[in-house]
Amino acid sequence: MPTMAIEVTGDSGDVLRRVARRDGRALAQLYDRYGRLVYAIVLRIVHNQAVAEDLVQGTFLRAWNRAQIFDEHKCAMGPWLVAVVRNRAIDFLRSQGARDSRPALVYENEDPRLCAGLEDGILFAEQTRRAKQALDQLPEVQRQAIELACFDCLSKTGMAAKLGQRLDTVETSLRSALGGLRKAMEAGVAE
Amino acid sequence: MSCEELLEHYELYALGLAEEPERSEIRAHLDRRCAACECGFRQALGLVAALSAAAPAAAPPARLRRRLLASVGVRERHYGWPVAWAAAALLCLSAAVYFSGRERQYAEESLRLRRQLGDQTTELHRSQEAFVILSAAGATEVAFGQGQPAQPTGRVFINPSHGVMMIASRLPPAPAGRTYEMWIIPKAGAPRSAGRFQSRNDDTAIHIEPGPVDIATTAAIAVTLENEAGAPQPDAQPLIVAALPVAGR
Repeated sequence: MPTMAIEVTGDSGDVLRRVARRDGRALAQLYDRYGRLVYAIVLRIVHNQAVAEDLVQGTFLRAWNRAQIFDEHKCAMGPWLVAVVRNRAIDFLRSQGARDSRPALVYENEDPRLCAGLEDGILFAEQTRRAKQALDQLPEVQRQAIELACFDCLSKTGMAAKLGQRLDTVETSLRSALGGLRKAMEAGVAE
Repeated sequence: MSCEELLEHYELYALGLAEEPERSEIRAHLDRRCAACECGFRQALGLVAALSAAAPAAAPPARLRRRLLASVGVRERHYGWPVAWAAAALLCLSAAVYFSGRERQYAEESLRLRRQLGDQTTELHRSQEAFVILSAAGATEVAFGQGQPAQPTGRVFINPSHGVMMIASRLPPAPAGRTYEMWIIPKAGAPRSAGRFQSRNDDTAIHIEPGPVDIATTAAIAVTLENEAGAPQPDAQPLIVAALPVAGR
């Protein structure tokens, strides 16, 4: 199954500076670079094209309005956009009801200062391929737990209901899976 | 809680799945800008982003880009189908005009080359005829105009089996509507036309009349200026007279 990754094109710092100066063409460039990725992620979460479009537009408008702050903090736009669109998707799902089955909103994810120092490279093809490979190598129950957390945006309670497992089993699976993925990615960085 | 105790909870926190008290602890560490926790949290954000990027590929509709840019006041030029068709038609028309011009150019060039080839073929044929007349045994050479500065001068070569060739100089191009005509003058009887010709711009001329010639009954080779259609018999005084030597003299 093909996945999304961004291509290494142009100087993202320059694009960000121009977005901060309200250059509409720079926003177009930013969208051209990350639009497909952000759209694919949010569509996978909400399963609704019209909603996905609204959430993508809102995410890029948020970038447009806060570009000055990103530029100051040298924020990595890719990870930030992913974090924002995930938050917006979770917020949408929570608004649809059964809030207990959804994760909490984490506003620190959207703090440009905390995205500073993150490499855009985390979203390049090699990194996403490594993440997908590490995900595929997890035991089935752990992989399911991660997919329900990342793509279905379910809370532990929601996952337990979906998988028909006890809450503490889900907790253990999640922590084991995340530990394994962390190590796999760290090993990739160290290579 | 210490940073070490929170180490395994950053990803859960970034996913919104951390429980209490870890959730409040991480938030507190980040609020007071704890460097170790900021670093761990950044790595967790990176992991979540990389995992999210493993979502199945999906292309957003083109209208989303236009909608986004319009919402910040950017109107990208969008040409509709009529404009595209008009541009295509203009392109086709330009191509037709261009290739039509090229085709005409090629046709003219082809015609010029065909003419050139025809001239060269004629010239080659004449050269072959001249070679035969000059090289075959029994040819007679007669000079004319020698010692007469105002008159055409040159030579006539007569081969009894292959024909007559005249090479002349100081023979200016014939006036408009007129042409030179060569004659074989017999010792008795009427002159026989040996073909019409034009001299070149440098006042030189080569004329060949193929076919057998009876030298014994021929008195001279002459050239007159005639009307363009030629004449059954010479109408004017000859400009060139190359008299054959009398036999036995």
